[in-house]
Amino acid sequence: MNQNSLSLLVSFVVLVLLQVLLFSKMHLFGFINPMVYLLFLVIYPFKGNQTLFILLGFSIGFSIDFLSQSGGAHTLSALTVAYLRPFLIRNAFGVTAEIPTHFQNDNRTLNKLIFLALLLGVHHLIYFSLVFFSWSAVFLIVKYSLFTFLFSLLLIALTSRFYKRLNDS
Amino acid sequence: MQRILNALVQYRNLILYLVLLGVSFLFLNGSSQFHQNHLERYGLLFSQGLHDFSNSIGNYFRLKKINETLLAENMKLKERELKSNNIPLYPSILKTNKRFPFKVKEANVIRNSYLNQRNYIIIDKGAVDGVKKEMAVLSNQGVVGIVNSVSDHYSSIVSILNQDLKINVRLKKSNALGSLSWKGTKTTDFKIEDVVQNAQLSIGDTLLTGGMSSYFPYGIPIGKISAFERNATSGYYTISAELFDDPSLLYYVYLIEHKDQDEINTLTKDINK
Repeated sequence: MNQNSLSLLVSFVVLVLLQVLLFSKMHLFGFINPMVYLLFLVIYPFKGNQTLFILLGFSIGFSIDFLSQSGGAHTLSALTVAYLRPFLIRNAFGVTAEIPTHFQNDNRTLNKLIFLALLLGVHHLIYFSLVFFSWSAVFLIVKYSLFTFLFSLLLIALTSRFYKRLNDS
Repeated sequence: MQRILNALVQYRNLILYLVLLGVSFLFLNGSSQFHQNHLERYGLLFSQGLHDFSNSIGNYFRLKKINETLLAENMKLKERELKSNNIPLYPSILKTNKRFPFKVKEANVIRNSYLNQRNYIIIDKGAVDGVKKEMAVLSNQGVVGIVNSVSDHYSSIVSILNQDLKINVRLKKSNALGSLSWKGTKTTDFKIEDVVQNAQLSIGDTLLTGGMSSYFPYGIPIGKISAFERNATSGYYTISAELFDDPSLLYYVYLIEHKDQDEINTLTKDINK
């Protein structure tokens, strides 16, 4: 097990614990719980094994669901985002452009931001659709997705900066 | 085989994704009653068409059975209807301790003549099924006739479309009694005789069975008055009536057994001696 794998494993555990113990209990403005655990789906190497990544996405979603008794909504949305990530990467960084090996090794801020926005947007829409699971709650779904999305984006954009230093050393 | 394996390897991500998606749907389904209900509803939506299709086929083949059960149910209802019709004659008839002397059976019509002046109907129930001579026969819409002769498995009925048959009727509004018989022309055209002229008649008044004969219980609607005129010489009305139901269009009939018929007949014989 090399250093990168170890770092990922530790990230996995720490992010799950942080999400369950801290971020899922924030209730900002009464309803916003930023989903910082998605950072794991961001920092996993872009050129890593996709099959393993799908399994990891499933596992992290399942862990969150398991520890916060929230049904299968996290599992389903995290899994879907993990599956869709290669497409999102291509959309964010360009089909022909050089795709970085790691999210944190790249300097194109706008592309990184677009990537984050796509990933979080898709995830939040799926998650809240599943939570409300009703056509009559479309407005609520959009509202929750949007506000949670803003805070998740902010927090993930900030915390992803820690990884650069870790990887460089 | 190699190709299948290749395809599996090539699409392993998609397959893995779909499998895990199914698993997470199971979690969602298992962990929350709300999601369970919703998912079941969507499942129903998908399977509805299929169920409808198989149901319609199944229903078609069940029709015969359904018909039989409906007939049996109708028979019971007919009996209740007769009972409730008879409240004026047999007060407190719906109380269990009060005896109602009529009993209902059902039968299918297998031959029905209506082109002659004296018509007969054959039904598929006979002495084995408890059919007796002189039982009254009803359809769902009125009177059909009276059992004429009985064999083991079949019976013949003197149809109401027989000029020899006279049925005791009562006019609903005026309460006058008369006897109904066929004119011998159209299957719904009848005449009523023996209505005395002091009765007040109106066109459209309903005809009920009179309850004065031992054949039919009181209160079965048969038809309505279509025309009447005073007959100056005889003192009786000449009344034309129209049946509610065309007796030539019969598929099944109800047989009414009058349990006290023998008793009444003996009494009448004693009087006539």
